[in-house]
Amino acid sequence: VGCDRSKNLVDICGEKHFQAFVCDALSVPIRSGSCDACISIAVIHHFSTAERRLATIRELARLLRPGGTALIYVWAMEQEYKNQKSKYLKEKNGSKNKDKEMNTSTAQRPLSDQEPDNSSQDSALSDQLLNDFKDESCGAKTVADFRLPVHTNRTSFHSQDLLVPWHLKGGTKKKEENVDTVLVPGGSKESQELSPVFHRYYHVFCQGELEAVCRSLDCVRVQKSYYDQGNWCVILEKL
Amino acid sequence: MKLLTHNLLSSHVPGLRPGGGFPLRIELGHPSELPPEPVPNYEGDEEFLRRLHHVLLEVEVLEGALQCPDSGRRFPISKGVPNMLLTEDEA
Repeated sequence: VGCDRSKNLVDICGEKHFQAFVCDALSVPIRSGSCDACISIAVIHHFSTAERRLATIRELARLLRPGGTALIYVWAMEQEYKNQKSKYLKEKNGSKNKDKEMNTSTAQRPLSDQEPDNSSQDSALSDQLLNDFKDESCGAKTVADFRLPVHTNRTSFHSQDLLVPWHLKGGTKKKEENVDTVLVPGGSKESQELSPVFHRYYHVFCQGELEAVCRSLDCVRVQKSYYDQGNWCVILEKL
Repeated sequence: MKLLTHNLLSSHVPGLRPGGGFPLRIELGHPSELPPEPVPNYEGDEEFLRRLHHVLLEVEVLEGALQCPDSGRRFPISKGVPNMLLTEDEA
């Protein structure tokens, strides 16, 4: 059985006759200890604080019976790993790919094995576009003005916390990801239409980060920890 | 929503007593075809087993609701998909 926060996406599962329901990953309406296995693929990296990300993993562990296992995939900060670029980086500049949508929304990122130095990338923030989520009335806030950088698709990440653009192509039900363009070049009238851009929050994980978060929980044991096509992955066992 | 799926689901309204959210009551437009209790020696009752298999694996609730036994909160089922999201105020 599957679940997601988006009713529209879950409805698609229903149309395909899969068993699925709508819920929040922080509060899953399933009895504790009732699952032999759970998977969380490209979900946890959408939560905007460390506390919420931990809470998501804790909730996932609650569902498992003792001895049950969980598989977690999150996007990696490092998009080149062991001198290999991930599929996400390799497919830059509009090369054809059947699973275009999949590539951007699931973890498909190479990971570099150099130690990431996040602080040196912060200077790139000011050069980025202002994001749609910036609080307009920030004069009333006491917190420092923090801007999330907007990512350029199919390039390496310069910050762990960022917004990734997603272009909803107009006129057709199928959602496609267009690299860095709003107007799609081409002869047909449809392709000339502006497609709305959504900015989706991501916290991309550094090497070891996901594992460390999992290790902070007493109820699970990290069975396996690895890198896969731009994702950091763990297999957990419920104790 | 198949009955097997329903078997996993529990109400997660905050503040319930342990186990107070299970099982969710299925609200349909029409009465069920199953007896309220399994007969003794149901394992050998082919007809019952056939009907049970049918309800467990072949029947799906398309439109209806799931009701939390303790709080009474209703979760709608639409196009076979239960919506278990709590509102901002509830969560």
